[in-house]
Amino acid sequence: MRRFINKWTILGVLLVIVALWAINVHDWHQLWTISSAPDNIPIVAMLFLVPFFTWMGVRQAVANDRLIEELEADTKLAKTHHRKVEPWRPGWARELHVWPYLVRIEFLATVIVTVVLFIWSIKLNAPLEEPANPNLTMNPSKAPWYFLGLQEMLVYFDPWIAGVVMPSIIMVGLMVFPYVDSNPLGNGYYTLRQRRFALWMFGAGFLMWIVLIVIGTFIRGPGWIWFWPGQTWDHNAVVFDKNVDLHDMIAQSSVGKALHLGFLAQNPGKFIFGLIVVSGFYLVGALFFHWLMTVDFKKMRLPRGFSLTELHRALFPKNAFEQKILSRTSLLQYLTFQFFAVSVLLALPVKLILRLALTIKYVWVTPWFNI
Amino acid sequence: MAESPEPRESLIKREEDLPAADPIAGKSTSGWMLVSALLLTISIAYALWDEAFGQRPWKGMQKEFVSRYTRYLDSIKSDAGKSETDIKESPEYQQLDAEEKAAREAVQPEIDQIDADVKITQAKLDAITDPFQNQRGRLTVINYNVETTDGSAKARWRDRAEAKRREVVTIEVPSDDGKSTKEEQFDYAKLEKTYNDLRDHKSERLSRKAELLKTPSELAKKRDDYLKNHLIGLGPVAIEGLKTKMANYDYSILGHQISVNAYNIVDRCEVCHAGIREPLDIKPASMKSSNGTEDAMSRAFVSHPNKEILQLHNPEKFGCASCHWGNGRATTTDEKGHGRHRFWLWPMFEKENTEAGCQQCHARDRVTQGAETLNLGRDLFAQRGCMGCHRYEGFDRETDALAGTNQQIGQLRDQMTANEKQILADTQASGSEKATADEIKKLLAHAESLRVTNSLLAARIDQLNLQSKYQMQDVKKVGPNLKDVRVKLRKEWVPVWLENPQGFRPGTKMPTFWRFATFPENYANAPAQHMRDKDNADQIQAIAAYLWQDSFDTKLPTQPQGNAGHGKELFESRGCLACHSIGEGASKMGGDFAANLQRVGEKANFDYIVRWIHNPRERVAPYCPKEKRDLTPDDYAKKNLPFQFDTELHSRCPNDGAELQVQNMTVMPNFRLSEGDARDIATYLFSLSSPPSYASADYMDNPQLKDKGKALIKQYGCAGCHEIRGFEDEQRIGKELTVEGATPIERLDFALQTKRAEEGHDPLNLHGKPAAEGEGEQAQKNHAEAEEKPWYNHKGFFEHKITQPSIYDEGKEKDPKDRLRMPQPFLTPQWRTALTTFLLGSVGAEGSNVPSTLFFNPQDQRRQDIQNGWWVIKKYNCMGCHQLQVGQRSVVQDLPFYQTPEGKDLLPPRLTSEGARVDPTWLLRFLHDPSLSGEKTPEQQQQIAALPSPSPQAAGSPQPGQVANNQSNNQIAKLLPQPGLDRNGVRPYLQFRMPTFNFSPNELQILVRFFMAMSGQQDPYIKEPMLPLTAQERVLARQLFTSGTPCLKCHITGDPSRDAKAIAPNFLLAAERLKPDWTFRWLLDPAQISPGTAMPSGLFRKEGDIWVSSGNLPPAASGYDHDHARLLVRYMFLMNPDEQRQLLAAGPATTALPTASTTQHHARAKKKRPRLNHARRRSRAALLNKITR
Repeated sequence: MRRFINKWTILGVLLVIVALWAINVHDWHQLWTISSAPDNIPIVAMLFLVPFFTWMGVRQAVANDRLIEELEADTKLAKTHHRKVEPWRPGWARELHVWPYLVRIEFLATVIVTVVLFIWSIKLNAPLEEPANPNLTMNPSKAPWYFLGLQEMLVYFDPWIAGVVMPSIIMVGLMVFPYVDSNPLGNGYYTLRQRRFALWMFGAGFLMWIVLIVIGTFIRGPGWIWFWPGQTWDHNAVVFDKNVDLHDMIAQSSVGKALHLGFLAQNPGKFIFGLIVVSGFYLVGALFFHWLMTVDFKKMRLPRGFSLTELHRALFPKNAFEQKILSRTSLLQYLTFQFFAVSVLLALPVKLILRLALTIKYVWVTPWFNI
Repeated sequence: MAESPEPRESLIKREEDLPAADPIAGKSTSGWMLVSALLLTISIAYALWDEAFGQRPWKGMQKEFVSRYTRYLDSIKSDAGKSETDIKESPEYQQLDAEEKAAREAVQPEIDQIDADVKITQAKLDAITDPFQNQRGRLTVINYNVETTDGSAKARWRDRAEAKRREVVTIEVPSDDGKSTKEEQFDYAKLEKTYNDLRDHKSERLSRKAELLKTPSELAKKRDDYLKNHLIGLGPVAIEGLKTKMANYDYSILGHQISVNAYNIVDRCEVCHAGIREPLDIKPASMKSSNGTEDAMSRAFVSHPNKEILQLHNPEKFGCASCHWGNGRATTTDEKGHGRHRFWLWPMFEKENTEAGCQQCHARDRVTQGAETLNLGRDLFAQRGCMGCHRYEGFDRETDALAGTNQQIGQLRDQMTANEKQILADTQASGSEKATADEIKKLLAHAESLRVTNSLLAARIDQLNLQSKYQMQDVKKVGPNLKDVRVKLRKEWVPVWLENPQGFRPGTKMPTFWRFATFPENYANAPAQHMRDKDNADQIQAIAAYLWQDSFDTKLPTQPQGNAGHGKELFESRGCLACHSIGEGASKMGGDFAANLQRVGEKANFDYIVRWIHNPRERVAPYCPKEKRDLTPDDYAKKNLPFQFDTELHSRCPNDGAELQVQNMTVMPNFRLSEGDARDIATYLFSLSSPPSYASADYMDNPQLKDKGKALIKQYGCAGCHEIRGFEDEQRIGKELTVEGATPIERLDFALQTKRAEEGHDPLNLHGKPAAEGEGEQAQKNHAEAEEKPWYNHKGFFEHKITQPSIYDEGKEKDPKDRLRMPQPFLTPQWRTALTTFLLGSVGAEGSNVPSTLFFNPQDQRRQDIQNGWWVIKKYNCMGCHQLQVGQRSVVQDLPFYQTPEGKDLLPPRLTSEGARVDPTWLLRFLHDPSLSGEKTPEQQQQIAALPSPSPQAAGSPQPGQVANNQSNNQIAKLLPQPGLDRNGVRPYLQFRMPTFNFSPNELQILVRFFMAMSGQQDPYIKEPMLPLTAQERVLARQLFTSGTPCLKCHITGDPSRDAKAIAPNFLLAAERLKPDWTFRWLLDPAQISPGTAMPSGLFRKEGDIWVSSGNLPPAASGYDHDHARLLVRYMFLMNPDEQRQLLAAGPATTALPTASTTQHHARAKKKRPRLNHARRRSRAALLNKITR
């Protein structure tokens, strides 16, 4: 299995996906209109830059990880080889000064970025649109690209949740992370192995944010309707989505009727039901993250036989390194992390899927807020 | 940087390796540094360049303008101050002139030949016309007698007619060489044929001549253009000044931007369009590029094509984009500056729609001077029935006013009822035992005061009732009254018409209801067949059935056939063609205001048409808006009243006293024709087509279809243009269009055409066809450009909507009741542009590009009067007959019969200075009754009765009394009597008949004020008193009248023998009709007031301070040292019948033909005009005869 997952197969699959999509594009002009809009240039550039820099970082991290592995195996060698990027060689200075070796590269980068910005600012004018008309909102009415993630969140949550609570949690969470991080390793160099979980969490969160922006930019058309890239933005397009609350859905389903779950749609019922569901979600989510944190994917194997012990062993192989870090983590740090992780990293994609795939509006309806 | 590390073994080995170069410390970045530093330098340079030039492309434009303009100024310097003769001596001019002369000479021989031929033909015609017309006139009289007598008398008259036809007259006809004459014998048939042949021949020759002259005229135009282009209005000094200005040109934006702080206008159009306000008339050809081609910049640098408008709307106050739209601040590209950018919502108007800009501020005008396209758009909106469905503020003046009045009446009535109740309550309370004396007093006083209030209210209601009567009189509908369907139309024709109105009558106002009607084959822009409703045939049946079953069904007087030939003459000469057209295709002639009558015989009932021509306003039965039904004779019989209704005394409902609709709501006026004449015209119209047989339409009597028909009529809004029973109070079904042009583009529903519109794919190909007048490559290029143009804008929306309304329903899945209802009107490309222009400019105050403080909102009474007047003038198509503005052409003016100089004298009077000419009180009376027969003192009436009837035929036609006799003989029911029958009030000599429009007092007032305002007259007008004449003055005036100035030759006097050839009004009318001031100016120089008038100029010459007659001074003049012209004015204004008789007796017994002495007299006047006029008058007298017969 693992043999087949190499860069060529990945590339091939990607190419096939792109080709299939390209065949189905009806309206290249529409796609061009969106991509060539001056305010969408950054997001289009990010489509290429983010994968590229991710790839570069990962490549460096993999190289470092190998080096770390090698050096760990030989403590003597580790003492002499300080430079993490490349193994030290005789004749090299043991340490390099910031000036000029780092600064000159940074300066070079500055100059090149300046040139790029010059050209960009000359060739692409500020993306001004029609004069504001208080009687007529433009359609689609889109925020600047960097806010499109926030705007897209409004589709899935209450304005209060999506516009106030979530952003606050995200920002506070980003501020808090240095303090909940108990892993002393992996600072100042690229590594996957030493910060596996942290990287995956950040990567997932970042990707989620990028995906929301891409959806907002390329997919949301007039009326905030879902148009696939390459589909014409038709102002007269109509969709009919009947989003229902989870408790109503259950109460009105045939199963729910059979089980006489009608009380779920009434007030104390639905409040309690939503509370239970959300609490359950937090519980399951926390367990999920805990599992993610401690599992050793490399050791996961198909169960041989069907005993629970065997299944447990197959699903929960211990990862010694993560266990070690976990043991350094205080309960407060752990719970803080779990709260932010479940509230944002898990809740958002889950709600997205509930909303888009299952047309569920809210899972917990209270007089004060809806989730 | 990071190469993947070698395997472990190599790592260990490295310890022994030779010292390696450090990949970081040992590497130099200077190469990179150099390259990026260079790039940075280049980009900084680029940024600086961009700042100076890239972002300021207009600097290049300015430079180019300066260089081209300087070049142009240099090139014209030599011409500066040159007189016309100088230029005419230049070789270029000589060359063009020679070309023109050569072309003219090439055709000259043939033209000479034609001229000679025409001259001989004319001579022959002159010889034959009189005898022919005599014979024809006599024959007509005999024929008339045949028609109106019975039995043996009829046979006798027939024989006489036959004899007349056989009668041979001998005429001296000039021979073909024109030198001799020979006598020829003619019977009537030969006479008629010869006459017609000669006329045909003459016109054929003349048209050949015009054809031959085409090339020379074009060359002459080219030559004259050259002269115009090289005739510089500026002297050398001024041109030098312009050159200096160019040398010190200010290459900036600020120096050329218009900034009006007060209105927040900043326009920088002149940064590129630098020549717009130059004093010279700059044409693209003058601004060719350095390699001598005319490019886009040459067109951009021209001066404003309409400097007059620029003067009225000073750009320093209004800016440019205020009128033209577009983005006045943008300077970088023409796309942005012209607002063609996607995000600029209001792009500059296309050239053809420029006048939409006028509508923004002139939205309340009916006619805006100089905006012809826009005016046409307004005309079409009103006259083609758009306003039947669409409300447009200002266009529904009458209905709005009527609704307002009725609402007021209702409110007052309610108040009165409440008061009455209170009175009753008060009176009762005062009668109760509990009340004290004080209270009783108070209550009774209160009741009394309420009674007073009520009587005041009743008076007010009476006033309003009168007002509502007038307003009801003014309400007109675009289409005919469909309550008359049964009496008017052939039953089987109704569905035929509904099925295909454009097929039956191309160009008709009736739009095609594409959901059920069909279009003629090959009709441009007809929607696809599948757009029609599935039940289209049923819909037609249902509508026809409703109309048929809910129509009046009264028996009309049956009418015998009349004389079609006479009818044709009447039709062509009385003024019908000012509104109606006749003939189809190339032979179409007449106005577009009303229907084409070519095929009226195929659809209508003869009796009805006769009655209609006799008096189109005559309704079958009056409509009571209060009871909401048409009254019947029974309603009147119950109240013991005769079944009589008119606008004068019988306009109220016998049941409830409400004002009735007593007239047909048509703008067609009453021509005061006798019943016989009406019959003749109808006979003529019916002779134009032969009724085909239509499929039977029995279903129209099926009562089951009625409900469906009613629903459909409601749905399609038929009542917007037609009066239909059951729909009298129907509201408009369409969208209000007052501010339609300001609708945001997103709210204009392009439906499934959106994408096509955005991509520039035009299913109707509206601008695809190369323009007819465009020539060669340029047109092709325009064509190509036009085709690619996206039409997702207001212009595109409106144009497509009015061209083919169904286009926005194409491909839509809709319930039938939700489908678009707008029918497809008939539109020419010009009309389409006009209507689009009108709609584009209809933006209201909110959508306007101009601050509303700058709107045209005249505060002075004069301008308001003019605009108010235009609504009425346009409503009744006064401009079909009259010229009201300088430069405006009336419809009748362009008719073929009036193209000769003689014909031109017979046109209806020009009204350009009518307000200055006539007394407003008189004008009011005249407009009320143009026959001037009704409101005269008996004495005056007697006098007028002595005026000759306008034509021998009319004189021969039966007087009302006779008609009654004849009718009783033939058992024909009688039409209502015709007041002022066959009489023209002022100009009896004209064939044109000023019809009776039945204006309400409101409209009369508006019209009079309009004419006074148009001529800038003082309001109110106070009549100048006339000093009585002394005996000496009287004698002198008489002598001047009869000898010096030959007044009595042309002016009507009341003496039939003289008046036969008179072509000017009677002096008896002067006192009442004219203003003395104007009359005085008129006497001095009529040609100046009305160019081309038959009235001779130069009748007086100035001696010191006074004007004396320039003719032979009569003996009485010696010793009279006052102004002769003033004396004549006074004499005229004091003229009375007695004086006129004496004058006639005193005057030489002249015939209308000028005597030798008068010819001499005019020759002595040293002016060519009088002589010309007399020559013209002679031939005109001949023509008069021609037309009359």
